[in-house]
Parts: sequence; structure tokens; C-alpha cells
Amino acid sequence: MKIYISGLYSGTNPQPGIGIARSLRAAYPGATLVGVEYSNRCSGIHWQDFDEIVLHRPWDELNLDAHAREIKRVLESGALWVSSIDLEIMWFASLFPGGHPNLLTPSLAALNQVGKPAIPAHEYLPVKIPTFVTTELSDWDLHAFCREHDWKVWLKGPYYEAVRVHGWGGFQDMRSVLSSAWATEKLFLQSHVSGYEESISFSAYQGELLDCIRMRKRDLTELSKTWAGDVSEVEEEMLVPLREMIRRINWTGGAELEMVRDADNQLWLLEVNPRFPAWIHGATITGRNIPAALVEGASGVKAEESVATGEEFTRVVLEIPVRSEFPLSPLPEPFGGGIGHSLKHPSGLLQFANRLHKLDFDNGQVSNGNGSKSKNQPTIVPETFVDDLKEIDFSDMQTPASLFLKNTAADYFARAAALSKELSTDEIEVINAYSFKTNPDERLIKLAHDSGFFAEAISLLEVKKALAAGFKPEQIILNGPAKWWRRETLPDASFYTIFCDSIEELNRVIAEVESGELKTEFLGVRLRTPNIRSRFGIAIDTPETFEELLETVKRIPEECKFGVHFHMASANVGVGQWWHLFESILRWCGSIEALSGRLIEILDVGGGWFPEDLGRNSGEKFRKAIEMIPEFLPNVKRIFSEPGKALAQPSMAVAMQILEIRGQNDGWREVVVDGSIAELPMYFFYPHRILCQDANGGGWKSLNRGKTQLLGRLCMEHDIVASNVELPSTAEVGDILVFCDAGAYDRSMSYVFGRG
Amino acid sequence: MYLDAAKPAKETVVETNGNGFHKPAAVYEKWQDWYASEISHHGAMCCEIAREWITSTDFSELGGASILTGPRWLRLKFNWGASSFPIYWCEAVRKKTLDCGALAALASAIFTARGVKNYRVQMVQRFSEASTNQWSNSWNDTSEQLRWMNDDLIYHEGCAIAAGDGEIKIWDPSAGWWVDPKSKDGYGGLLAVRLSAFNLPADVNFTWGKHSLSAYQWTNIN
Ligand SMILES: Cc1ncc(COP(=O)(O)O)c(C=O)c1O
Ligand SMILES: [Zn+2]
Repeated sequence: MKIYISGLYSGTNPQPGIGIARSLRAAYPGATLVGVEYSNRCSGIHWQDFDEIVLHRPWDELNLDAHAREIKRVLESGALWVSSIDLEIMWFASLFPGGHPNLLTPSLAALNQVGKPAIPAHEYLPVKIPTFVTTELSDWDLHAFCREHDWKVWLKGPYYEAVRVHGWGGFQDMRSVLSSAWATEKLFLQSHVSGYEESISFSAYQGELLDCIRMRKRDLTELSKTWAGDVSEVEEEMLVPLREMIRRINWTGGAELEMVRDADNQLWLLEVNPRFPAWIHGATITGRNIPAALVEGASGVKAEESVATGEEFTRVVLEIPVRSEFPLSPLPEPFGGGIGHSLKHPSGLLQFANRLHKLDFDNGQVSNGNGSKSKNQPTIVPETFVDDLKEIDFSDMQTPASLFLKNTAADYFARAAALSKELSTDEIEVINAYSFKTNPDERLIKLAHDSGFFAEAISLLEVKKALAAGFKPEQIILNGPAKWWRRETLPDASFYTIFCDSIEELNRVIAEVESGELKTEFLGVRLRTPNIRSRFGIAIDTPETFEELLETVKRIPEECKFGVHFHMASANVGVGQWWHLFESILRWCGSIEALSGRLIEILDVGGGWFPEDLGRNSGEKFRKAIEMIPEFLPNVKRIFSEPGKALAQPSMAVAMQILEIRGQNDGWREVVVDGSIAELPMYFFYPHRILCQDANGGGWKSLNRGKTQLLGRLCMEHDIVASNVELPSTAEVGDILVFCDAGAYDRSMSYVFGRG
Repeated sequence: MYLDAAKPAKETVVETNGNGFHKPAAVYEKWQDWYASEISHHGAMCCEIAREWITSTDFSELGGASILTGPRWLRLKFNWGASSFPIYWCEAVRKKTLDCGALAALASAIFTARGVKNYRVQMVQRFSEASTNQWSNSWNDTSEQLRWMNDDLIYHEGCAIAAGDGEIKIWDPSAGWWVDPKSKDGYGGLLAVRLSAFNLPADVNFTWGKHSLSAYQWTNIN
């Protein structure tokens, strides 16, 4: 019997070839095992169990037609082939659409049933699939997905590779790295599931399950790959549906179901690999030789009895002699000034993936994430954006220019006012306090005032501005670590509330209230709860600090009422985390009220929402939250929120003009504009929707992603205001581009640079 | 583990192993009369503040995860080491080190505050004489403290939570992991376990992996 085994890479993220060879050697001592590789850098070619090594040129050099003929010849000669290279398996599926009796890999139809990330075949199994979206969605929607999943998301390639996404800038960088590596935009984002990893490995022949086992990872590599594990029977609840699934999709070959079991004992299916796992010999050690079952099932040749030598397995590192016929190659030169030798994917798998794309064979079928939006949809902007732009005369405009979107601003403020009214109950009044610092533009302040908002100020200069704009002192909330800065402007009036940022400040304010120097209806604290990284608020992360807080709160003069404030931007930490923090604060407040004896009568939940996250669909969530409050804090009468960017961000845009359009290179093009990151300092933190006008100067439409980089006017390397957009083919020098969503910190933190 | 309380424990039942052979109770004999450790309360604000701090901190540390998640954060706050008993809430939360019994008592209070039904767990684990000699040297304050060791065996405490349908999971708060019901004899292996809880009737049985455990009774695991 002759068995070809391909995929012998054996680093810390190994292919299973060696494990398969060891297992088959144990089962078939007399068989001829042929190791197949595409790079002599895959160290598995030196493994002793191979009787022969067939070393091909790397995939990028290989003549695929000739290679296909060779494989057919091998199979026709009666030899079996077990592949452990995912891409090779896909290619085989295209070469043998109906399979071949000696080819122990799944058919194209079967592969499609287990394609990431949707894994249609999961329907048969008692598992769930973590939520995902294709990265073909607009940036705006992708950012929303990350917020919704607390930025605990993975960016995954079509075949291999998964990287944790940290923030919007990191996401953009990794997307461009993976997209260019795999030559596709078809990546996907998938939410993280926390728990313990376990796998099922099975072998099947023409739809019949031959054997399967379950493996729990007991030690991991840095990449979370198995280093040690225990092996047990697949439980009946899984085995029965698994057998059915294999029958329905008519599987042939080895396979691994990679899963996570969460704290509630739910299994989440991450991937189905169309091959044995690299740890497969670990199962053989426990007496379950899954590769042997496959060969026996396919060939009818009885395997030697498996002997268990343990119930658990682990890996070690081994040095073995290099086969003399395959001496080591020299190391490539480090790139000039570079660090390291850049040795990824020695067998040219990336290039192979690209060749498969070009052959128009593509199994990486990424569907659109739980069925929501369709691909390549342009970003949607609110109608009011376009209405507002229609009213603006661009003809004599000095660009870059900040545009006030009047109707949009009015609409957002009106909606926020309506929401707070809607959320208010007989017991609890919900009130907005506009965060002045977010954008102190007078038009926005007037909208806030006219909508019945309070003013949230972080300095006495902001207080002064609020008073000048018509806010009464008893509508002012004072916050922040340096609220007494420019003390000479302190008004002789009573504030609504002062939230102290430290114990020291609380002590000082108590003294000043007692002496009559300061007047305020409420005196409260901003809390910094454990497990939150923040420089603000009073930390309560030790019993000592908590006790000190309680002691100080007890000393707040009777004439002041007491309240608590927290702020953590849900736009940064994610919506789920924000809600958890909210509940956590309710518990802390309950403890503080009970232990200090001071009633908490106002709760200020801060700002930090992305506009869409405070939008209409969150109303229900907020309503439930308000209902929860009396359970923990029966004395709360008013809830404040301090929206800034939720209202200001959409209310302004930046108009810029195209200065130069450069030639194309491989589809990529650079375009210079007169705007810059000085007008869009938040460019790196969230996507901005960009609008351009039709060729005939008509309607506005948003730009899709594409291969144009918009370079800002500043002489600074990082001044790129869009890294991958698609300009209309008719775009010309002098055309106006409007960057939306620039009304919050883009406006207030913009800076003057390069203007002489 | 040291306990000053040495009240008589519930009746002892002779265990048999899977083959029906009589299995000596010797592994847990030394700790037959030990009760699961408790954290005492002064009945005053000092202890109340400490307890509120632990349970509120726990909710913050949970980070939105399932309430069935083990409170591993306790071991970031407290090193594992000798504690002396009785220990009060207001003392315990200020300690740099706590022993397995104090950590288990905290974990139990935490699960209770989360609304998760839980039980106290006493365990006998095998390590090695080399390990117990090491511990003897580092826990050398009083010979009393060494009563938790017996040759290569140690007494250990944890906390079980109800995981549906009479099933339990056992959290080891000193290690920060769930004890494997398939635990084998050998270094670190679990040999015997006993469950108890306030107000728990004596005739309750639990399933833990393939094991069946009766309340208040030591069960040999290996
Ligand atoms: C205390 C407080 N309230 C409100 C805000 C407003 O936040 P945003 O503009 O992100 O909504 C901030 C911003 O940092 C803040 O620190
Ligand atoms: Zn006390």
C-alpha cells in the first residue's frame, strides 16, 4: 500500500502531515508513506516515517496543469492521497468534482457546506456560529459592528489568518495587509467568543463516518494552537447529528471542527477544517487512530490494532537529522535596514491562493453576515445631509471650509429632546446636558438651550459661555479634573451640581460650601470603577479608597443633595461594555447609599455615544435601564446624560477641493486635496462618510471604497484623509468633496497648520 | 489550611471504588472533622463595607461575561499563602495573601451575590513530598498551619456552582480554574471531595462529570 501525505510544515503552527504519517505508520508498518511538500523549508520532509519524499517547486512556480496530471497518475496507480493543505484540498476538489476513490479529501460540494464563516452545515449540529460580517460592507457599517461587539472582534482571511482588531486605525491597517496578502476584499469580521477551545476530529469515506474523537486543549501556543490536550469520546448529543451531517454532505477525508465552549456550556463553531488537525497523532496515542480508520475505510486493508499509551498528550520540541538528499538552504538576506529574514509561507501558499482566485475557483464564500446588508452598498447618509448641502453655495467658497448642516443639527437635537421626554417617568426625569467642550459652536449651544438642555461644563470659561448663552446657573453641571481653572471668572451663583473628580477636590469643595464660598444644589462624585482604564474620577479599586470615599461622602454638608456621575465613551469601549458599566455603577451606587447613609438623588451617566448608538433603536434599551434604577437607587429623581458627539458630530462637515490627480499604478491612485487632518483630527478613530457631486454638479452621493488615496495638503507623512476610496471617473481638479461627521472633536480640536 | 473549629463532622460513609472493592478512606481521614473555612463578620460597618466592596468589585471585574464565569480576579488581588483563622471580612480584604479556604469563602460570597447557587467544597489532592516539604518550609509560622498536609497529600478548598439538573462545576479559586471531573491520580490530582452548604439537606445528591456526590460526604474520586 502506498499513501501520499502532503503538507509537512512543522513549526509552532504546524500542518498535520507528520502526525498523519506517525499514525499511519503505527497502523500500517509495511505501507510506503510518501511525503509531499512544496518547499524544502518545511522541516517535516526530514521526518523518519516517510519512505520517500516528493518535493515540488513552491506553488507560485508550479505548472498547475502538469502537477494535476501527475496527481491523476498517482491516484490511478492505486496509491491513496491524504492532503493536509487547505488550498491544495480546494484545488483537488476543482480537479475532481466528483471525487476519486483514492483521493481522501472532500468534494467541492462538501467544501462549500463548510465554507467560513457561515459554515452552512452547522445547521445539523448543536452549535452556534459567532456573529460576523463581510468587510465588503461600508466602513460606516463595519465600525458599527465593532462598537456593537465591544471591539472584541477578529479580522479573518478567506483561508487562514485571524487577527484581533484593536481600534479603527488598527483595523484599517490589518485590512489592507490581509487584503493585499490574499488579493481579496473578501475578509470578514467576527465577534469573539470567550471560553474553552475544543475540537472534534473525524474521518469519513463517501458520507460514512468512520471514527471521531473529541479533544480539549489543555495547553496553548502563543497563537492559541494546541500544545497539549485530552481526548475523549464524542458525546451522543453531538455524535448522532454529526453522523447525519457527514451523510448529508457526503464527506470524504479527515476533518476538524474547531469550537469554543462558553461559560453557559454553549458550543460555538469557529471553523471546519477539511483535513485532520495537526495534533491528530495525540488522539492516536490515546488509542484512537483516526487517519488509520480513513485508510482502512477507503482501502479495505485492515489496520493494526491501536494501542493506547495515555489519555492525554503533549508536545515537545525535537531535533532530528536533516536528510542528506535535502540539505538546508541558506537563509535569505534581511531586507536593507530590516529586522529578521521575512520567512513566512515558504511554500508560496499566498501566491497559490491568488492563483486560485484567478482560476476563478473560490471557495472563500463570505456571505453577508447573518443576512443583513448586501455587498458593496454605498454608505447611506441621512437625507438631511443632502438637503443641507443643497442650500450651501460652494461657488465662492474658500476651502477647506467647515459647513454647518442646519437641518441636520436641528433634527438631532430635537430627537434627543424627544427621547429624554419619552424616557421620563412620573418618578424619574431624564434630562440632557450638552457637553460644551465637544463643540462650543454658538449655533449648537443655542439649539441645546432652546431644546431645554442643561449645560455640562469642564471649566469656568465654559460656565461663563453657558451663562452668556442664556443658561441659568441652576442648569449648569460642573465636571472634570480642573473645573476651577480661571477661578476669577467664578460666578456668584449656585450651580446645579458639582461632580468632584478626586477625594482631595471633594474635601476642598466641602470646605468651600461650608464657608459659603461656593454654592451648589448637588454635590457629587465621579466614580472610577475597577476594571476600567481611566484617568478620571475617584478610584474605588481598594477597600481603603472605598472606605475613604464613604467617610468623605458622609461629611457632605446637609444643604447639598448628593449624586453620582460616571462617563465612559461607548463609542470607544463598545455598546455592550457601556451597558455593563452602567449596571456595575448601579451596584456601586447602591452600596455607597447603604453604607454612607447619603441618598443618591441624581445619576449622571455622561456622554460618549456614537450618534447612531443613541438613535431611535436604543430607546427600548434606555427604557429598560430607567426601569432598573429604582431597584438599586429608589431615591433617584433625575437622570442626566451628557451627549456631545452624538449631536454635534453629524451637524458639521468639511468641504475640500481636489488640487491634483496623479497617474494610476496598478489601479491605485493618489489625489491631493486642500483639506487635511488638521480639519479632521479624528480621522484615525472612526470613519467619515464622504460625499461628492455628480459630474453635472447635481446630486450628492457617497464614495465607496476603492483604490484612491486622498492626500492632505500638510507636509506630514500621516496626513492622508482617506486611504481607500473610489472617486468617480469624472472627478477633476477643483471638484468639491464633503467629509461628513466632522462636527464634534474634528471641529473643536482642529488646528491651524501650514497657513503662514 | 488551619481551622480552629474542630466540631464533629457528619457521619462517614465507606466508599467503594468502581470495581466494588473497598477503598480505604485514608486519604481524607486526617480532615474528616474539618469544616469548610468561613470569613467572620464583626457585625459592624467595617465588615459590611469590606463585603460590599468585594461583591461590587466582582461585578465590575465580570466585564459583562456570564455570571457563571469563575472570579479569577481574586487571585490578582490576593496571593495564595497562609491565613490565620478566625479571619474577619475587614481583615481579609486588606490581606496580601489568603489561603485556599479564605479564597473559597470569598468566591462563595461572590457567587451568592451574583445569584448563583453554590456550595463549599473540601478536597484532598495529591502532590509530592517534595512539594509538601517546600510548603512546610514556606508556611513555617506555626506547626498548626501544617495540619493541611499529610505526606504527599494536601487538604484544599474550593467552591461548586450549580450548573443545571443536579450538576455542579467545581471552581478552584486558588488556581483560577475549574477542576476537571476527569482528574486523574498523580501530581495535582484530586483524590476525594466533599460538598456542604448552609441549609443544605443531607440527602441531596449531585452529579459532577461521571461522579455522583452526596452532600456532606467525602467521595473518593480516584
Ligand atoms: C464628563 C463628560 N461628559 C460628557 C462628555 C461628552 O462626550 P461626547 O462628546 O463623546 O459625547 C465627555 C467627553 O469626554 C466627558 O468627559
Ligand atoms: Zn470588621
